[in-house]
Amino acid sequence: MRAFRTLLAHELRTMWLGWTTWAAWSLFLGLQAFVFWYAALACSRGPMPWTPVEAVFRWFPLPLLTLLPLLTMRALAEERRSGTLGALLSTQAGPGAVVMAKAAAVWLTWVGFWASFAALPLLAAATLGASADPRLADPLAIGGGLAFVAVSGTLHVAIGILCGSRTRSPSLAALLTFVCLLGLTVSGGLLDALPTDGWGGVDWLRSAAAHLRNLAHLDDFASGVVDTAPLALYLGGAAICLGVAFRNVEEPD
Amino acid sequence: MGDAASQTVPALEVRGLTRRYGKLTAVDAVSFAVAPGEIVGFLGPNGAGKSTTLRILAGRLLATEGSAFVGGVSVAAEPAAARRRLAHMPENNPLPEDTRVREYLELRARLKGVDEERVGLRVDQVLHDCDLRERAGSLIGHLSKGYRQRVGIADALVAEPEVVLLDEPTIGLDPHQVLGIRDLLRRLRGKLAVLISSHILSEVEQVCDRVVIIHRGKLVAQGRPDDLRRELLPPPALAVGTDAGAAAVGAVAARLDPAARASEDGPGRVRVELPRGSPARERLLGALAEAGVPVRSLSEEAAGLEAVFLAATRREAREAPAA
Repeated sequence: MRAFRTLLAHELRTMWLGWTTWAAWSLFLGLQAFVFWYAALACSRGPMPWTPVEAVFRWFPLPLLTLLPLLTMRALAEERRSGTLGALLSTQAGPGAVVMAKAAAVWLTWVGFWASFAALPLLAAATLGASADPRLADPLAIGGGLAFVAVSGTLHVAIGILCGSRTRSPSLAALLTFVCLLGLTVSGGLLDALPTDGWGGVDWLRSAAAHLRNLAHLDDFASGVVDTAPLALYLGGAAICLGVAFRNVEEPD
Repeated sequence: MGDAASQTVPALEVRGLTRRYGKLTAVDAVSFAVAPGEIVGFLGPNGAGKSTTLRILAGRLLATEGSAFVGGVSVAAEPAAARRRLAHMPENNPLPEDTRVREYLELRARLKGVDEERVGLRVDQVLHDCDLRERAGSLIGHLSKGYRQRVGIADALVAEPEVVLLDEPTIGLDPHQVLGIRDLLRRLRGKLAVLISSHILSEVEQVCDRVVIIHRGKLVAQGRPDDLRRELLPPPALAVGTDAGAAAVGAVAARLDPAARASEDGPGRVRVELPRGSPARERLLGALAEAGVPVRSLSEEAAGLEAVFLAATRREAREAPAA
């Protein structure tokens, strides 16, 4: 446990001392602020089926596909490239502590990005005071959205860690992560779009499609509905990905 | 480590270690031991199997056959316990470029299980021992090769291991840096067991108590350099600086020992071969003076470790077909 804590603190410090994390965070906040402002402007002109906060969370796949691979690409692939992974494993820190600390550091950073966005609607509501529409900083939407990011982030980050656990190239790790996350994001919609009406015995396909729909899960979380299926998908998937990453790191040459 | 029982257990012991990659045998039934406090050179040309052996000892590579023990603890059966007793600085000494020296050493100390209250103390100590105090706040990526090697050695020492494995610690360093690393290694003598892998034989000879020589994965010789010279090399010849010529010097030498052989060895230089232990070795200078042979200098030819290494590998090549 001491090795995990030590490594986690080191990973977080290293991540936040590097300019790339700050650049990614700035880009993230800039994008979210723009979407939030645009959505708030749209809402001020007439009734919309979503609140500005919900609109921001609906853009979730964009930072997921562009920024998360950047955050995970260095975690293990860079250590392999520079040879420091072997040096790390020559200490008391086992492969489990290494994988978990790196995953936890990226997960905390990812959730931290989204949590920092939550300041925007709260700031906007505080600035407008009593004249602010209560939906501007809808706490349920903010809390639900953050809960979704936190829970789904376990799998998304674990996929990134897994993709970097077997390669020495951070760029390849980022590309693999992007492809896997894209596949996970669109697979629900693609499966749902298959013309399965005339097919026999494919109910499981529809069921799988329903389980894989990210944005439906986001809506559930924002509405306060916590189903066990997405929890099992994200947490179980994360456990499997991190388990395989552990095996990849553990294996002596 | 102070009791008698612990002194009898080798700090590092390798028994029949073998590593195969398909049909290629990189390390072939290598056996040797390193006593506590001893500095041993692990010699061999590039590709001899030195780094492979060290990686097996560090637990980063599995042996195909054989076993290795660190302080009596099996590297294969109890890797975590063996890791606590051993530190390994790999050949390319990988270090994180974007971390400061002190911060890196503190991290390594914690990961190696140094008590939290002793981390600062140990880091200060190794910074001092490795002459790194002035660079403690520098980014590792900004350090010269020599300082990076020092950081690698400081990392190896920070948790006070029983055994340190150093893979080519002076490779790529300039002469000043080599001297610095050599002094640092000498200071470790008697404190912990050190196995230094190198193909720079003259370098190893100046630091190590004993050498282990491997060639094409096989152990070809081990022992103290002087013992190996006696075992593997002909007796050292005497070099006489004189213009009198080989015949005059040879005649005097033959009077002292009929087995003496003299030959010209360049202008103004005669080489005299004598059996080991021949009394003529000590009496030749006086005899030449008595005989009126003018002598400018007389010295015993010193055979370097290179000659020992070549003789050992030649012997291995001769014995291999019979084995």
